[in-house]
Amino acid sequence: MSYQRSIVKRLIFGSAFIFSLSFLVTIANAQDGKAIFNSKCAACHNVFKNSTGPALGGMEERGPWSDRKKLYAWIHNPAAFMANDPYTQGLKDSHNGILMTGFPDLTEGDIDAVVNYVNTTFTAGPGGGAKPAAGETAAPEPKSDDTLLFGVLTLILAVIALTLLQVNSNLKKMTDDKEGIPASEPVPFYRNKLYIALGIIVLFLVGGYYTIQGAIGLGRHQGYEPEQPIFYSHKVHAGINQISCLYCHGGAQEGKSANIPAVNVCMNCHMGINEYTKGPQLFRPDGSEVNGTAEIQKLYSYAGWDPDKKQYTGKGKPIEWERIHNLPDHVYFNHSQHVVVGQQQCQTCHGNITEMDEVQQFADLSMGWCVNCHRNTKVQFTDNKFYSIYEKFHEDIRNKKIDSVTVEMIGGIECQKCHY
Amino acid sequence: MVAVMAVASCSNKKPGINYMPDMAYSRAYETNSENDIFPDKQTNRTPVEGTITRDQLLPFRIEKDGGSDTTNFAKARMVQNPLRTLNAADLKEAERLYLIYCGICHGPKLDGNGPLWKDGDGPFPAAPKNLLDPTIVSQGDGQIFYTITYGKNMMGSYASQLNPKQRWMVIDYIREKQGVKKTTTTAAADSSSTVK
Repeated sequence: MSYQRSIVKRLIFGSAFIFSLSFLVTIANAQDGKAIFNSKCAACHNVFKNSTGPALGGMEERGPWSDRKKLYAWIHNPAAFMANDPYTQGLKDSHNGILMTGFPDLTEGDIDAVVNYVNTTFTAGPGGGAKPAAGETAAPEPKSDDTLLFGVLTLILAVIALTLLQVNSNLKKMTDDKEGIPASEPVPFYRNKLYIALGIIVLFLVGGYYTIQGAIGLGRHQGYEPEQPIFYSHKVHAGINQISCLYCHGGAQEGKSANIPAVNVCMNCHMGINEYTKGPQLFRPDGSEVNGTAEIQKLYSYAGWDPDKKQYTGKGKPIEWERIHNLPDHVYFNHSQHVVVGQQQCQTCHGNITEMDEVQQFADLSMGWCVNCHRNTKVQFTDNKFYSIYEKFHEDIRNKKIDSVTVEMIGGIECQKCHY
Repeated sequence: MVAVMAVASCSNKKPGINYMPDMAYSRAYETNSENDIFPDKQTNRTPVEGTITRDQLLPFRIEKDGGSDTTNFAKARMVQNPLRTLNAADLKEAERLYLIYCGICHGPKLDGNGPLWKDGDGPFPAAPKNLLDPTIVSQGDGQIFYTITYGKNMMGSYASQLNPKQRWMVIDYIREKQGVKKTTTTAAADSSSTVK
């Protein structure tokens, strides 16, 4: 009896051991598979979607691939295999006539590992490994505005003050009555000269303040955030995905205008990236959710790109972006002067773009704002042949009369530097 | 109160008012502005075919392959890098260009693992090529130029972002990182092949 039991025990342990071992081997296999897949296959194949080559997920149910031997032969020498296999001939035709590169150096074990990795990833579903954390970014909080609160408080205090004044005058009247001092005819507060004068002064100050603020604000558009034809999130592109500003707005280093990128620049990445799944949920300023994939589809219709055939239809049309930062025509502003020569970061004038979904005008772009910066910014004066003609400043620096040269000192706030 | 709130809530969707906008709006057409003269309403025009920018290199004469054809790509191997060996400042500029336009996919270390791929966790569905891979090291400079100009597989064309001189500079930078010594330096080529 005990002998039998020990056999059963051994069997159980043994099978558990073998099972766990085989499980470990599978995992190790899948991990190797991932490395091999990423280095050899991923340039052209994706597990879930068609790329340069077809999607690999579920391939064992297609064509001849249920037979692993045929798969080995195909991967080791695609051209030879295709010669007498109609399925792969069809595959070539349906992928712009591109034939797969052969990988004779992959062993059969390597291929098994890749297939294993593809199958496990495919059954886990897209984003199975790295699901975007739901609720990672909640809806943007409504900005709290304290102006209303302060207004109400001021009003309450003013009412209390008025009541106390009334109480005070009433009490005075009562004591006067008691002591028999004849009271003069009470003047109602709306005819009281002191009150009227105070009222006029307050009205003048408050009204004047708002009139002047409004007048200054005419033609300035700070905070302007128009709705764009495509919900393009700078936060996703420049923030999360770390794309340099100059990747799209390369004009900023070449000349006056930091150009709007051509659709071709968008399509360089979006030929491949046709859905928005890995980033945080996006919201419009009014709180409604943005369907990133639908926005990418809008780009395709503007570009005239057929995502199924992976070809341009030639029926594109320009995207009519709304211009946000717009200096009046009587000011000359050149991006390259500031970005290349002045070494300014884009964020200095455009704000924290990497945190903005739809862009908002950050600075008021007023002349005072320009001049302030020109007064404070130091010019990189040493090791710069362009500034060698400013001999006096160089001498002053050498004699330690000044320690740095600002933009203002080399004529940065002369009128005709910008207005001509 | 309702009116005030309505004004406050919609004010940032509209640009606001301009008072007496004398000389505020350009009478000349501005970059990217709408234009009624042309049927596609774009002010920005493509230069006439065959135009060469001043101070730029002579054009790359190899056309794009059609479909699966690779003859032109193979032919590009014959094209040599017309730039002289880059000095330290040029190489620094080339690195800057590489990091802006290439590093985003091919990685700052050229290992094909840029922020858009991140070992498969980034948004891009295809693995960018490891530029230190022997298959790239053995390619000709002209073939890399071909790829940057016309794109290859999932990579698009970078002709609009990098001008020919910048493309050759980036190729020199890649070669430097690959540890490949520049073999063909035609010293005269730089001045003679540049359009003045």
